[in-house]
Amino acid sequence: MIDEELVQLLTPEGERVSHPEYASTLSGEEILSFYRDMVIIRRLCNESTSLQRQGQLALWAPVQGQEAAQIGAGRALAPMDFTFPTYREHGIAWCRGVPPEDMLRLFRAVSNGGWDPQKYRHSVPTIVLGNQALHAVGYAMGVQRDGAEEAVLTFFGDGASSQGDVLESFVWAASFNAPIVFFCQNNQWGISTPMSTQSKIPLYHRAHGFGFPGVRVDGNDVLAVYEVTKRALESAREGGGPTLIEAYTYRLGAHTTSDDPTRYRIDAEVEVWKHRDPIERVKSLLVREFKIKTSVFDDLAAEAEALALKLRDDVLAMDRPDPRSMFEHAYAAPHPLIDEGLRDMVELGVGGGAH
Amino acid sequence: MATQTMTMAKALNEGLRAAMEKNKKVLIMGEDVGKLGGVFRITDGLQKDFGEDRVIDAPLAESAIVGTAVGLAIRGYRTVCEIQFDGFVYPAFDQIVSQVAKLRKRSDGVYTMGLVIRIPFQGGIGAIEHHSESPEAYFAHTAGLRVVSCSTPNDAYWMIQQSIEHDDPIIFCEPKSRYWEKGEVNLDQPPNGLFDAVVRREGTDVTVVGYGSTVKTALRAADTAAQEGLSLEVIDARSLAPLDLETMAASLTKTGRLVVVQEAPHTASVGSEIVAALSERCFYSLRAPGVRVSGYHVPYPPTRIEEDYRPSVDRVLDAVDRVMGFDS
Amino acid sequence: MSEQVFLLPDVGEGLVEAEIVAWKVNVGDVVTLNQPLVDIETAKATVELPSPYAGTVVTLHGNVGDVMEVHKPLITFEVGGVASSATTVAADAPPISTPSVEKREAVLVGYGVTNEEGVATRTRRRQGTSARVIPPTSSAPVAATAPRSTPPVRLYAKQHGLDIATLTGTGRDGLVTRHDVDQALSGAPATSPVRVVAVPTGPTSTSRFVGRDLEPWATGPKEERFAVKGVLRSMADAMTQSAFSAPHAAVWMRVDVTRTMELLTSLKGRPALGATKLSPLTIVALAFCDAARHYPGINSSFDAANGEVVVRRRVNLGIAADTPRGLIVPNIKDADQLDLVAMAQAQAVLVEKARAGTTTPNEMIGTTLTITNVGPFGVDAAMPILPPGTGAILAVGRFAKAPWVVDDEVVVRYVTELAMSFDHRQVDGALASRVLAHVARFLEDPAAALLVG
Repeated sequence: MIDEELVQLLTPEGERVSHPEYASTLSGEEILSFYRDMVIIRRLCNESTSLQRQGQLALWAPVQGQEAAQIGAGRALAPMDFTFPTYREHGIAWCRGVPPEDMLRLFRAVSNGGWDPQKYRHSVPTIVLGNQALHAVGYAMGVQRDGAEEAVLTFFGDGASSQGDVLESFVWAASFNAPIVFFCQNNQWGISTPMSTQSKIPLYHRAHGFGFPGVRVDGNDVLAVYEVTKRALESAREGGGPTLIEAYTYRLGAHTTSDDPTRYRIDAEVEVWKHRDPIERVKSLLVREFKIKTSVFDDLAAEAEALALKLRDDVLAMDRPDPRSMFEHAYAAPHPLIDEGLRDMVELGVGGGAH
Repeated sequence: MATQTMTMAKALNEGLRAAMEKNKKVLIMGEDVGKLGGVFRITDGLQKDFGEDRVIDAPLAESAIVGTAVGLAIRGYRTVCEIQFDGFVYPAFDQIVSQVAKLRKRSDGVYTMGLVIRIPFQGGIGAIEHHSESPEAYFAHTAGLRVVSCSTPNDAYWMIQQSIEHDDPIIFCEPKSRYWEKGEVNLDQPPNGLFDAVVRREGTDVTVVGYGSTVKTALRAADTAAQEGLSLEVIDARSLAPLDLETMAASLTKTGRLVVVQEAPHTASVGSEIVAALSERCFYSLRAPGVRVSGYHVPYPPTRIEEDYRPSVDRVLDAVDRVMGFDS
Repeated sequence: MSEQVFLLPDVGEGLVEAEIVAWKVNVGDVVTLNQPLVDIETAKATVELPSPYAGTVVTLHGNVGDVMEVHKPLITFEVGGVASSATTVAADAPPISTPSVEKREAVLVGYGVTNEEGVATRTRRRQGTSARVIPPTSSAPVAATAPRSTPPVRLYAKQHGLDIATLTGTGRDGLVTRHDVDQALSGAPATSPVRVVAVPTGPTSTSRFVGRDLEPWATGPKEERFAVKGVLRSMADAMTQSAFSAPHAAVWMRVDVTRTMELLTSLKGRPALGATKLSPLTIVALAFCDAARHYPGINSSFDAANGEVVVRRRVNLGIAADTPRGLIVPNIKDADQLDLVAMAQAQAVLVEKARAGTTTPNEMIGTTLTITNVGPFGVDAAMPILPPGTGAILAVGRFAKAPWVVDDEVVVRYVTELAMSFDHRQVDGALASRVLAHVARFLEDPAAALLVG
């Protein structure tokens, strides 16, 4: 079921395989640090799901199964590159340095964003499918005009690949040769809509129709994702124009905590993909090739656990925002309706209508 | 004082040119804006002078014109997006409402959505369908956006520059039926703030508010009414969101009677907002309910009959008669 | 050690309840943070709930198969004193939805819908803050130059014939209130002068009212009071008595009076008349008397004191006269006995005496029928009030040219409108209609009527 052209450097069993165009450049130390990132992201994701089940989050969009796709892509970025995520790019946010608790502000419904996008060079979450792909292309056009050697990386899924904005962004990127990499995590399901409904051809083939290269990479192989993304970003920075990367992966969990995937997909399929787990194969490699000891893995697990508990503490400490804050940043310049609304709210008593 | 007589189209062109000269980050993007100079020639000659990197001939996709302008804004550019015709803005509606209007808020003030979306709007040019619409209310309704409209060459020259300099996203509505009307442009200083309404003609009996194309209609109605002994005060709203209610209220407390003239249909329109907001503010001074003169609630008609759809001088005067009749 | 109750959370996908599918802990079990506690099934999915506390299970609040309400107790824990930072925080920190726990209902996505059932607590605007509607004085520097009032008060004033521009507003920022209108209507003195801005002044001539000259609008006092006496007293008493004792009804019709006008023209200057001047009113008087002769019931009065109706076979014909002293209604005694010339002379005498103020009290009592001629004031009709003790009063409008259909052709004719009020206690609509129709026929063809006599 996996395309023959799939770029894979590490099998699900943790065996290295060769590819004619790509080879892993990572040291054992670097691979271990990728492993650490994936373990932490999975643990933080699990904690977030628990927090939702305990009534502490309005929603959570799990990332289990997609850790390699996100850590591989996130670690391939240069500091000055800019990223445009959806609402599920927790691994990218982690790589960009966004504090985990900031990732949860949106889901605790205390913010519509959560972090300073310029500080982390990671834009705010975009919920309307595909909108961000155009922002990314526009930003890349700005990079071009600045003459900067930067690349832009934008994310979307197999579901959003049907959106006009994504396809328009392909047209724009091609026409203007924008320094952008489109990173599509094909996790096989758009909530309950299977890949077969979205496309009759592999998604990465679409790039050829728009006039730029497309690559399918094993999205559960962090080594391959890293190399493929790194090369695409370098090409963009050097004027090579856009690349579409289809990271072929699987959403092991639900679309969000409001979803029930048992209604539309069979357990056998999930079992197949559990066998392709992105974390386990790296661990096998680390044990076998780099002789990493059990105590190292135990220490990493403990670190992840501590981070999860800290995330819990931080989330529980997030209180209801001051209602007056809704009037901040709606406009840059003074606006009479903002003044009027704020005055009304204050005169009625802040929060008077909310409890 | 340096003044020059020019058409509104030329004034917009000169205004864009001035803005581009002043700020290298100002870009123009739209369909056919480069070599052709736009279907209305508003951007005529700008690509030749500023280059293809700054005057960008876009592929034909409105959502992308606006969506990439958002990205450019995040990068610090100020893009003037040209939507070719009013009826073609809807593919970009999602980007305008979901992103342009909200990204500043979502980023807690980090992003500045400095972009201008120019829309030739209203009818009166005998075009075919989708070329004569008045979509301003959709945008006026959306928090995070500002909507303005020019009615004279002088305003066109200055308001486009003010819009480009402004840090909030601006929907810039151009009355295409007035593109080729000439007027004096003062090249030295702007006549007003971008969000100020302006009294175009003073009067005592009825306040008539228009914007874009209907300002002239209101002024012509005032001429006719004067012959009948009625004195109309004509206000050019200029800013549709936010509305300059102070200027309008000052007039209404004097006249006690209000007529709003727009090409858009009544329901949930800018005219409705003007009437409602002024009723709240000036209730004690009202001598009659505010009356709207609008397009009818039908899809814009075939333009052989558009003059029966667009507010005419007669329809304005009929509304004036009605508001005069309430307390006489 | 403290007890902590885990309320069944709104997991964002059920409705308002969930069924317990399987317990994964028992009472007495020591559980860790996030340890699976229970599987619950909502309307949409079966999910596993992880423990929000580290501690000992004290109570399970339901059995397998029980349907539990969201936000009601599910498990009670005893949380230890050596708890980790996380358990302490979990125990102490209210979930963000706490303020809303009682106020939200679970839906498929999100924290749930705010519960809007029940009586809301009113939050009032803080004292001293501005009203929602911004008064022009606070944000708009322009003062209102048109009088300020509410549209309903404007209507109220208009219905009472008052121009609010003449009233002094005592409300906020000079607002003319309903009370101000009431004050003006009751004649109370104004509390402060009217506006000083230029207003239309009106004519400088005087006008007549209750028997006196009223000073011009602009220069006269803002308010004047006159004692109700003399003619005014008589009119007021008579009208009040009549209006509140005799149930009034009215009939009216338009009449072609061209032949009456022609008759008057043809008689003009005849030697038999001498100095006597004929007017349309003379013919109307003859017609009304003739109707009484045909329908004596109209010449009647209602004697409530004695429980009788009185019919008279002499007409004392009252003529409403606009005099310098006011309205008086002297009558022509035995008017039914008079011919054309005598009627004309009697009317002339009556009018002359009324104007001179020499009408005697005797000439003002005993009226049986009345004519009020509103035509000279240029109006078409009036709905008159009966002088007390009379059967009917006939109002005559102006005689004016108007389009009229004759033989299916629209032609210009002299037309007038007759309106007759009658005392409906003894006169019914049928009788009144016949009387009025008789008068009309007389005026349409006076020569024939006079001939018949």
